[in-house]
Amino acid sequence: MGLQFHGDKCIGCKLCHLVCSASHEGVFNPRLARLSVESFYEDGVLVAEGRVCTLCGQCADACPTSAITMGDDRLIFNEEECIDCGVCVDTCPEGVIIQKEEKIGVCDLCGGNPWCVRSCPHGALSCEEVLASEEAM
Amino acid sequence: MLGYQNKVLRIDLTNRNKSVEALNMEWAKKYIGGKGLGIKYIYEELKPGTDPLSSENKMILMTGPFTGTTVPCSGKLAIISRSPATGTILDCSIGGHVGAELKYAGYDAMILEGACDSPSYLFLEDDKLQFLSAEGLWGKGAHEVETELQKRHGRDSKVLCIGPAGENLVTMACINSEYYRQAGRGGIGAVMGSKMLKAIVIKGTGGVKVANIGETLNKVNEIMRNDTLTDANLWAYTDGTPMIVDMSQGAGILPTRNFQDGTFEFSAGINSESMQKSRSGKKGCHSCGLGCGNFTKIGDAVVEGPEYETLALCGSNCAIGDLGAVVKFNQLCDDFGVDTISAGNTTAFAMELTEKGIKDFGLQFGDVDAYLAVPEKIARKEGIGAELALGAKGLARKYGGQDFAMEVKGLEFPGYEPRGSWGMGLAYATSDRGACHMRAWPVAQEAYGDVDCFTIEGKAQMVAELQHYNSVKFSTILCDFWALSLDTLAEVLNQVTGESFTAADMEKIGERVTNIARLFNMREGFRREDDYLPNRIFKDALKSGAAAGKTIPKEEFEKMLSEYYTIRGWEADGSISQSKIEELEI
Repeated sequence: MGLQFHGDKCIGCKLCHLVCSASHEGVFNPRLARLSVESFYEDGVLVAEGRVCTLCGQCADACPTSAITMGDDRLIFNEEECIDCGVCVDTCPEGVIIQKEEKIGVCDLCGGNPWCVRSCPHGALSCEEVLASEEAM
Repeated sequence: MLGYQNKVLRIDLTNRNKSVEALNMEWAKKYIGGKGLGIKYIYEELKPGTDPLSSENKMILMTGPFTGTTVPCSGKLAIISRSPATGTILDCSIGGHVGAELKYAGYDAMILEGACDSPSYLFLEDDKLQFLSAEGLWGKGAHEVETELQKRHGRDSKVLCIGPAGENLVTMACINSEYYRQAGRGGIGAVMGSKMLKAIVIKGTGGVKVANIGETLNKVNEIMRNDTLTDANLWAYTDGTPMIVDMSQGAGILPTRNFQDGTFEFSAGINSESMQKSRSGKKGCHSCGLGCGNFTKIGDAVVEGPEYETLALCGSNCAIGDLGAVVKFNQLCDDFGVDTISAGNTTAFAMELTEKGIKDFGLQFGDVDAYLAVPEKIARKEGIGAELALGAKGLARKYGGQDFAMEVKGLEFPGYEPRGSWGMGLAYATSDRGACHMRAWPVAQEAYGDVDCFTIEGKAQMVAELQHYNSVKFSTILCDFWALSLDTLAEVLNQVTGESFTAADMEKIGERVTNIARLFNMREGFRREDDYLPNRIFKDALKSGAAAGKTIPKEEFEKMLSEYYTIRGWEADGSISQSKIEELEI
């Protein structure tokens, strides 16, 4: 399972950011979301840009203490092992690992039923079989 | 109460300093936020008789407990001041994300006092406020300014700005955000311009806490699925407000040729079906799943819209059936910072004055070229623009035609012909900021529903109740487009604040807010004689459509107005007694 963003369906309401921060951090704060979805006007064109965890595993590979590991279908973060070095934040090619005041936050797919997908009003986010299809290749 | 930041940022533009104070929670319990709480602050702080364009006037940006949360349709910011167009209280509502951004910066409200001594803009980044020079921005269109300011301060900053119309103190100037969202009515942009404030840029990195976040998440998600994204509301996504063009045409209430008629022979050119062919994207405000914004592109003209009001006032009312022309007019109005409703209405009035030979403005119904030159001329007060910038009331005072200057208290009619929906006439007459469709929208039950349009029976009660409903909704602060019950409103408010409001409390707050707005106006001398409609509505029968042959007979209107005052517990002259003030604990 992994998240996928469908820009043609996004209306830029930020509900995905809000439910992500609320469910993980206990506060509505779009800057504490473990994904990045923006809809904006640029040169007279409406643009939707979305970045989500693709389960590429580079953060797990880079983590010096194995605080981030790759589970069967999602990332697993063990906060006790984290030394707050920030390497994962810099490594993430999507820029969706957040640096908090203390420690970091990775997309854990909300344990398998992601709030962002459940809350997206028009299906701009979905959960797809990323790992399975890669294995098949 | 949770859901608030408990902080107000007060900015003294004259002396370039700021102070932070606690939000008055006693008032917040009674007025919630947004419209109601903003009006309460203005009512208490503004001296009676304050010139709206003087430095003594204040402008308040007010959020509410829902702002910045996942509560559906809560992406609005209220902007409150005294209107330079009407002299009444003025509260506007602007969508996009700027309201939430103010809350994330740590404040429930921003109160702007005094005036800058040179063109300036503000950059607020959490608790840091900078007063910056607007040199190089002054005189520029709102679109260019917003692009430039986001370049300077980051795409994640949110911008409120004015175009040349606001700078030139045009009393139909609006405030823009995200290019195509406006606090449109009553000349709020001129208030900002009078303070020499070109823009307010906000960047907030904090968050909003609510009483029980887990329960709120679950409850709000359930409500979004079962009460928001439903057939009753999803028209906003599939069509947006352009859907109303066909409804109005069918009901005979589509303003045509300066309200000379209620149907337009070319309405199919500007309806939702026509718009869908040119749609190139959808956009929603903060936390809103409805996403009513239609991004439309025709040739080199692009706009998020046009909304129904623009299609009606700048389309049929000017006898323009070419959607491309309306889109262009809309884009120009947004960029120059002019309210499309007042601009369209006043242009149509000037067309009729020209047609009748009273004064030649070189504007004819249906003539696209002259029409497209109007927004810039109004904004710069150049040529005929200097005249049209007076608005319909000012123009009539100068040249005549009062009987068909379609305004109340100096605010031009929006897009619903009252002769075909009599309750709408009462709604315009008694709205707190002049002719407005956002204070009560009885057309939903009358012209678009099954309530008899051509009777005054039950209308006073209907309008009073609708005014309470919108007053409390705009105080929490929610968008017009979510048709939720007061029970649901109370339920969501309790989830967020941790309080125990009931539906009856919501109704009472709605009445209180409606009354304090009226008290402000009363203090400025407004009475029954100001709660009237132009004579055209009483005298001239509509020519075509479902309301053909109809007026609102003046004596019927008088009866409806008296009944409305009685229902409200107001005096016969439209004033509010001390006992009523005490009953409502204002």
